[in-house]
Amino acid sequence: MDADLLTDTLVELADTMVADFDVIDFLHLLTHRSVALLSASAAGVMLADPRGELRVAASSNEAAGLLELFQIQNDQGPCLDCFRTGQPVTATDLAGLGQRWPRFAAAATQSGFQAVEALPMRLREQVIGALNLFRADPGPLDPAELRVGQALADVATIGLLHERNVRRSDTVAEQLQRALNSRVVIEQAKGKLAERLGMDMDRAFTLLRDYARNSNQRLTDVARNFVNSATSDFPPPPRRIG
Amino acid sequence: MTANRSEVVWGQLAAHAAARGDRVGVADVCAVAARSAGLSGAWVAAARDGEPDFAMYVTDQVCERLVELQLTLGEGPCHDVLASAAPVLAADLDDAESAGRWPAFTREARGHGAGAVFAFPLIVGAIRAGVMGLYRRSAGPLRDGRLGDLLILADVATLLLLDSVGGGAAAVDGDGGRLDGQSPDLALHRAEIDQATGMLTVQLGVSITEAFVRIRAYAYSEDLRLRDVASDIVARRLRLDPDPAPDAGS
Repeated sequence: MDADLLTDTLVELADTMVADFDVIDFLHLLTHRSVALLSASAAGVMLADPRGELRVAASSNEAAGLLELFQIQNDQGPCLDCFRTGQPVTATDLAGLGQRWPRFAAAATQSGFQAVEALPMRLREQVIGALNLFRADPGPLDPAELRVGQALADVATIGLLHERNVRRSDTVAEQLQRALNSRVVIEQAKGKLAERLGMDMDRAFTLLRDYARNSNQRLTDVARNFVNSATSDFPPPPRRIG
Repeated sequence: MTANRSEVVWGQLAAHAAARGDRVGVADVCAVAARSAGLSGAWVAAARDGEPDFAMYVTDQVCERLVELQLTLGEGPCHDVLASAAPVLAADLDDAESAGRWPAFTREARGHGAGAVFAFPLIVGAIRAGVMGLYRRSAGPLRDGRLGDLLILADVATLLLLDSVGGGAAAVDGDGGRLDGQSPDLALHRAEIDQATGMLTVQLGVSITEAFVRIRAYAYSEDLRLRDVASDIVARRLRLDPDPAPDAGS
């Protein structure tokens, strides 16, 4: 494991007091660093929606297969079990017989994943979501890596809820709503940019995020301004941040 | 957490609308919201230029006064929810935080008999349709589990408001529940639907609000599932043609 990258990641995930903190950018960082640091080929974060479901808040790539997995997990799968119990859940051989979650296992293997870890994002008694690590090879994750994965999930949880404290006494539910709506704004902006420039959604996201970083703006503000802009020029002409 | 809470909520809405002998509308949303959360009243107001406007529906006179107060004073929970894109749960208008945040509103609102106000943004990403507000005469937080139901009801109100601004072009019957043949929260939050809506702003040269009305109207008129239409648009198997809808340019 890359110790320097781990240190950098923990520092970055703890640094949520900056003015241009953006929750989706933050969770995106979590998924990408999880892939870079651990033996995972993809990672995703799901957050609890107070409506009673889990929702995808970020993933390390936009592959439809991964998102489908998450959706199937709404019915069954390690992520849902992890969320319900607040405990880590591991599936080490999704292609094997006697699957605990047959539909999930079939979808996961079809997308090229043989093993998955679901790690709870938990604050005391409340589970706010889960970090999922998808692996191409079967077998258990190295225990040291598992501990690092849980540490990343814990730091991210604290970071998310710490950011919340900056904004009066919002409840966790209010903060999760804001995060989930940010996700929608960003998807709308990706669609508009992808159509405008004839590119795929991954590239559109990267373009949006890079522009936000380079101009010291929050990703969600950049996305909202672009979506609401009367033109489809990117970057959008200057406009009141709404 | 209960699975399929939206089906339960939709059942309540459908029953309430049937008792009135009408299709589901904002009146049903307000009534069911207030009743199921044990609150005194509820209202729905459309947004104009990103700010809450006059109420489209109120369950009682107090609601009407609370809406007017916020419009007159230019402050209050309903103003804040559209800016922050998150609910505002002011469980005690007498407490220091509420009084500090909306000094004029809290004073007046208490005079009209409101002890707590809960406000929900009616939004889909960057789309601002309006706000849903509720009040209780006594102070106190929402009961456990009520927040989720109110969010589902806010999703329904969002669709109903967007249908009403969409006008004839959307041809949605005012029956939000059957628009996609599935509960509206599913329809509202899938990434491909959001991406496709963004793509349509460019294809059709319309606002994001109009694009959302158009993609749902297309799915409805072609008797397709919204998520399937969205999937085809994102995969570039389907393009919608700009055509001069009666109310184009909204």
